Amino acid sequence: MKLSRRQFIGGTAAAAAGAALFNFNLLTKSVTAADDSLEEMKTFRNVCPRNCYDTCGQISYVQNGILKKVEGDPKHGYTNGKLCLKGYTYTRRVYSPDRVKYPMKQTPRGSGNWTRISWDEAMDTIAKKILELKSRYGSTLPICFNKYSGNFGIVHYGAEGTMSSIGYTTRALGTPCWPAGIDAQTYDFGTLYSNDPEDMVNAKYLILWGQNAAWTAIHTLPFINKARERGAKLVVIDPVLTSTASKADLYIQINSSTDGALALGMARYILDNNWVDWDYARNNSVGFDEWVDYLKTNITLDWASEKTGVPQDIIREIAREYATTKPASMWVGYGMQRHINGGQNVRIIDALGVMTGNVGKSGGGVNYGHLETWGFSYNAMVNPAPKGSKGFIGPDGKEGDRNINMNNFAHDVMAQNDPPVKMLWLACRNPGSQDPDTNAIEKMFAAMEFVVTVDSFFNKTVQMSDIVLPATTHFEDWDVMASYWHYWIGINQRAIDPLYESKSDVEIAMLLSEKMNALEPGSCTFPTSGTPEEWAAKEFNPGIHSLLGISDYRELIEGPRKAKMTPASWADGKFRTPSKKIEIHSDLAEKNGLPALPVWVEDMKAPEKYPIRLFTPHPQHGLHSQFQNLDWMMTANPEPKVEIHPVLAAKYGISEGDKVKIYNDLGSIIVKAHLTRTTSPEVIVSYEAWYKDSNFNVNYTLKATPSDMGKQATGNNGVAFHDNFVTIEKA
Amino acid sequence: MTKQLGFLHNSEKCVGCQGCEMACKNEYQTDAAPRWRQVFQLREEDYSLPTRMFFSMACNHCANPECLRVCPVKAYTKREDGIVVHDHDRCIGCRLCLMACPYDRPQFNPAQKKVEKCNLCYQRIDKGEKPACVAACIPEALQLVEINEALDQRMGVLKTLPGLPSPDITQPAIRFIGPKQGKQIRRD
Ligand code: SF4
Ligand code: SF4
Ligand code: SF4
Repeated sequence: MKLSRRQFIGGTAAAAAGAALFNFNLLTKSVTAADDSLEEMKTFRNVCPRNCYDTCGQISYVQNGILKKVEGDPKHGYTNGKLCLKGYTYTRRVYSPDRVKYPMKQTPRGSGNWTRISWDEAMDTIAKKILELKSRYGSTLPICFNKYSGNFGIVHYGAEGTMSSIGYTTRALGTPCWPAGIDAQTYDFGTLYSNDPEDMVNAKYLILWGQNAAWTAIHTLPFINKARERGAKLVVIDPVLTSTASKADLYIQINSSTDGALALGMARYILDNNWVDWDYARNNSVGFDEWVDYLKTNITLDWASEKTGVPQDIIREIAREYATTKPASMWVGYGMQRHINGGQNVRIIDALGVMTGNVGKSGGGVNYGHLETWGFSYNAMVNPAPKGSKGFIGPDGKEGDRNINMNNFAHDVMAQNDPPVKMLWLACRNPGSQDPDTNAIEKMFAAMEFVVTVDSFFNKTVQMSDIVLPATTHFEDWDVMASYWHYWIGINQRAIDPLYESKSDVEIAMLLSEKMNALEPGSCTFPTSGTPEEWAAKEFNPGIHSLLGISDYRELIEGPRKAKMTPASWADGKFRTPSKKIEIHSDLAEKNGLPALPVWVEDMKAPEKYPIRLFTPHPQHGLHSQFQNLDWMMTANPEPKVEIHPVLAAKYGISEGDKVKIYNDLGSIIVKAHLTRTTSPEVIVSYEAWYKDSNFNVNYTLKATPSDMGKQATGNNGVAFHDNFVTIEKA
Repeated sequence: MTKQLGFLHNSEKCVGCQGCEMACKNEYQTDAAPRWRQVFQLREEDYSLPTRMFFSMACNHCANPECLRVCPVKAYTKREDGIVVHDHDRCIGCRLCLMACPYDRPQFNPAQKKVEKCNLCYQRIDKGEKPACVAACIPEALQLVEINEALDQRMGVLKTLPGLPSPDITQPAIRFIGPKQGKQIRRD
């Protein structure tokens, strides 16, 4: 039977209501009162594994093997027993009729003609393709792997392990998210390492720089509010008047991508008034006086005000307050580094923190994120290549994987010819909707011989795949999760059995290994045994044990633990740069072709033809392409919009609710207008998301322009997502 | 009636996150369409500065509940503590209450062809717990309160917000604290 995608989903939804084991009817309680007639409710500990600051501790409520509801874990000291709106929708994800339930194949790719196949057939097809490519090209390099942040559970690094166990492959390397800021802090401090966010209660002054906590890290708000109750002032600097900015004592609508200029203006004024913490800066850093000279000769308040659009008296006000109200905390968001000068802007803000002595202090810090609690074993990730594997000879002469740029994925896949890329394996990743230049991505997928995707939903990437393998949700798996923001670590228990025929990345790897070795003995090194709990247990090591003060992972079943670290990062003054000091002057940056000092680097100017900047920030109702497709979210937020300032809208004859075509040379999208003065007349805003049964995708107009930094610590520069210029018309 | 329970919503603290709305759905595993609790955005033009401002509203457990008055099968009752309870089993789905309620709070469930609404988590309240929405609100913008003279005399407590129907119609058991706006440096 040939079905279109829509029919397929509709058909299975109807079937689920009648025949399937699990559906919403089983879940729905009587709406008037809780139904107590069933087996006693069991609870399990889980951790939300999404790419999110908050990485919430969760308690799942399970009755008769069915997930009844999900709440926050009160033993988690940062998320404190509460979830964000996304966290409360999980039953709709787990029991969604739209879930990928079985291994399925699509013939031909992109047709929507899906047929259910057995796990054995899926593994047989995949293993034979891998072996055929290997014999055709003499290596497994034609197989390209792309995984990022769909599930940040540590056991999910088994997806990488799948690849390393079949040989050397082509790998999408990098992170689209935050690399420019990571490199900035790597040049300055040696790595990224933020204060405990709970320590923000001790701040006397707070600057949220391009950070929208209300949508992306809502559990930090109570700590910020506590600081405010104690008298701290909250300043939010953002081109968009976000929900967070709406709460600020002072909101500054800065000219996009000029954050460094504002920080330089502040620095100059602080210098002129001698509010500099000379002792801290000179004792802890190298190159500080060199930067002071730069400030004196190159920076004026006039210039800073002109660049940023921020009046001079406001620059003076925040400079004075930031430098004299101690400790003062800054939180640098990820949006502000998604520019061609984004990393450099973060370096300048870092220097501002150093000059005022706010680094290494409780209640202070230039806070961006950290990876201090991620010292797991990565046992599932590390497998030796099978004997005789041929790899790619890198510039250092070493044989290994062939790394290509995750942030220019479509281009880099197509550019390989020795050997070419013929097969893609995607896990925890949806480039079909999340990568820049969607048209190029679609073309590249079409050029492949074979595409395998592991996922839970028929998203854009799955729609372009030959085989989809059904992924478990985190309630169906054992795992362990850390956060890149707070200091807590939690164990994730299997609360319910895997639904339908879904499997975790590690279980898939074990199956593939069995099949490959049956077809060609010795062709895959991935272990073929281990229970999900055993795999999670193997991620623990003495370092993690001592960081958490436990001797066995099972102690985490009693509650998540907070890492034993000081509330202030860098409190010991032991920086991890080559000089072991803060490097205001960074030789490493210079060696990498960047300015050695945190000096101003020009922002990208709008081309004449496309004078409007299109921002596509993180949405409120989803995390990238996750959550928004769920029925509860579709009720809460049924359709995408573009926020347009009334003055700009009038210029283009656009009224509230009109359909607007947004376009440039790369592509176009059509979306409904919402007129609002929360954005400026130069910037329109449309939040990235994957809506159910919709082709809406902000990335059709987005060029894969690299940001200035990222290569040093993450392998590749980031994407300047927010340097995207378009024009609009009434559609 | 000895007391009147209700909600106090603080727009100064609320960030419009819709956590309360989803926590309610999570607690009762409702179908997609009915929104027992709903977060609304206040109109920019009603305030001096354009800001993202919100309020969250479920059933207001009115002192003078129109829903109860018009319901032909007596599906609505008002408890001693003021909670207006809707009995889903009695409901025949005639939707008269939908028309009567000035706040659109009885929600029609098209799949079940019946009405459902917030019952103020009375089963949780009877156990001494907070309503699910109140328990979920991260900035503590939403509170369960007793509506009384003392509350109405507190500084900043409002009986209505711009754009809402007059509270005289049903005397809703909800009070508001209006949004506070900071200083803005704008580009327009
Ligand atoms: S949970 Fe609280 S902050 Fe969020 S929308 Fe509801 S009332 Fe507002
Ligand atoms: S808000 Fe509407 S449904 Fe609730 S008690 Fe008042 S009239 Fe009835
Ligand atoms: S009180 Fe209970 S039923 Fe009413 S809106 Fe809140 S969570 Fe929903």
